[in-house]
Amino acid sequence: MSRYELPAVVVEHQRRGANLYELILHAPPIAERATPGQFVMVRAVRTHAPLWRRPYSILRANPDKGVFSILYSVQSAFTELLAMKRIGSTVQILGPLGSYFQPVRAARRHILVAGGVGAPPLCFFAARLAPTLTPDEHLLILAGARSSEMLVGLDEFRALGAQVRIATDDGSQGYQGYVTDLLAQALDDPLETAVYACGPNRMLRTAADICLARGVPCQISLDAPMPCGVGVCLGCAIPVRTPDGGVWYKRACAEGPVFWAEEVVWQ
Amino acid sequence: MAVNLQVALGRLRLPNPVMVAAGTFGYGVEYRDLVDLTRLGAIVTKSLTLAPRMGNPPPRVAETPAGMLNTIGLQNDGVDAFLLETLPRLREYGVPIIVSVAGETLEEYVQVAAKVSRAEGVAALELNLSCPNQARGGMEFGVSAELTAQVVAAVRRAADLPLIAKLTPNLGDLTPVAQAAVDAGADALSLINTLLGVAVDAQTRRFRLSSKVGGLSGPAVKPIAQYHFWRVRQALPNTPLIGVGGISTPDDALEYILLGAHAVQIGTANYVQPTTALEILDGIHNYLQQHGFESLDALRGLVG
Repeated sequence: MSRYELPAVVVEHQRRGANLYELILHAPPIAERATPGQFVMVRAVRTHAPLWRRPYSILRANPDKGVFSILYSVQSAFTELLAMKRIGSTVQILGPLGSYFQPVRAARRHILVAGGVGAPPLCFFAARLAPTLTPDEHLLILAGARSSEMLVGLDEFRALGAQVRIATDDGSQGYQGYVTDLLAQALDDPLETAVYACGPNRMLRTAADICLARGVPCQISLDAPMPCGVGVCLGCAIPVRTPDGGVWYKRACAEGPVFWAEEVVWQ
Repeated sequence: MAVNLQVALGRLRLPNPVMVAAGTFGYGVEYRDLVDLTRLGAIVTKSLTLAPRMGNPPPRVAETPAGMLNTIGLQNDGVDAFLLETLPRLREYGVPIIVSVAGETLEEYVQVAAKVSRAEGVAALELNLSCPNQARGGMEFGVSAELTAQVVAAVRRAADLPLIAKLTPNLGDLTPVAQAAVDAGADALSLINTLLGVAVDAQTRRFRLSSKVGGLSGPAVKPIAQYHFWRVRQALPNTPLIGVGGISTPDDALEYILLGAHAVQIGTANYVQPTTALEILDGIHNYLQQHGFESLDALRGLVG
């Protein structure tokens, strides 16, 4: 475990969609150690309100340049403050934090299920996974969102040579319906598969159920209100099964955010 | 000019007045790579119960204006696991360790305190009197002067360590409870614990915490905490008091010292900035130097 609390310099701040922004930050220790699925706790400005830092999954990291980035949309007082950050200013960063996606080496097909703003850690994972795949391994991205303008990272997934299938709630792009419908369809193919998912907790639950019913290994990245990010406040409790059949809590920030689907007890 | 930051709270002597509050710093070791633990005045551990506790179902926390609500439900590893596994690791840092003791019954407080008092390297006990009392339908022990006195007196008999009673603010006037705690043998008082509150989500049309009611902390509570602190200070001019509630800057801490605090505890601010306690320690040091005070004694209680 190596994590840092430091001021990171904004080196680029780019619009990525209708209401989607990428903040590229210079912080070499974090860029070097970040693993796909991990997150950072971000503090834009010293304020009492908003009070908490916010967790952001790492979208990409370039250890050679010492930079990493996060993706956000402006929808709260916190993200309004983040949006005001100019190149050369700093944001306070704590990270990299939490667990990460683990490639299932026995799988011949890796399916990444990205729900809306859940896409960033999967973009990072795909970027690191794609170069390691053997010729007989496939990378399939299932990307879902409410509407086409809320889809994230499609070009990057395609640039990695991944096959991309899209689902939107309103039918504005791809299949009209839930991205988990596409997952169920894809799993009809008996190819040895591993699933990695990030998105709204309801989507993750459905993805987990589908995978568990078919015996497909599935890792999910869970979201929870997270005051500290480092495992001390116990606010982000996730109910999990214990070996003796009971239920206990793990912390989304410390043992998570990435969990094996079979661990999680949905409530 | 040399500045002396040492403080004495009765028998309890600390290298400086800046502690981290119970439940906001884990068992201390979790922050070892981010915070120089050796510089802290003391670490108050997460509250310990006799058996491990699972805590409350999520959602357990909600951000509120300049504050937060929590309903963790005393999730902890239990006193035995702490003494066996965590305390030896924490002791290595040489920082004073104050163990927060919780219980749902008088007997539980006593048993936890007795176990801790037999361990090596604990500087003091802090009694978390905000625990729900099983025998009285979950009412906090600390809202009753009689129950507070019973808990303090029983723990006093069972454990030969400096004893701090942490008071709940969830009653109109804290002074009778404060007086009862001191009369029953508390060496010092911490005030305040969290304030009861609720938060509602208009979008989902539900309470934002699983238990509906939670404890409010953060900058929002500071004026209320300082009000209670000031009243108890007036009623008990000779009791060492520890100011807790809404401290996130050196000035916040200095305000409590000016109101008569011997020490302060940093709570919610640790989540926002893990190094807050050390920044406050440096800030107090600089303030004393700049304004020509040689020690905290010269500053304490100047506003009364």
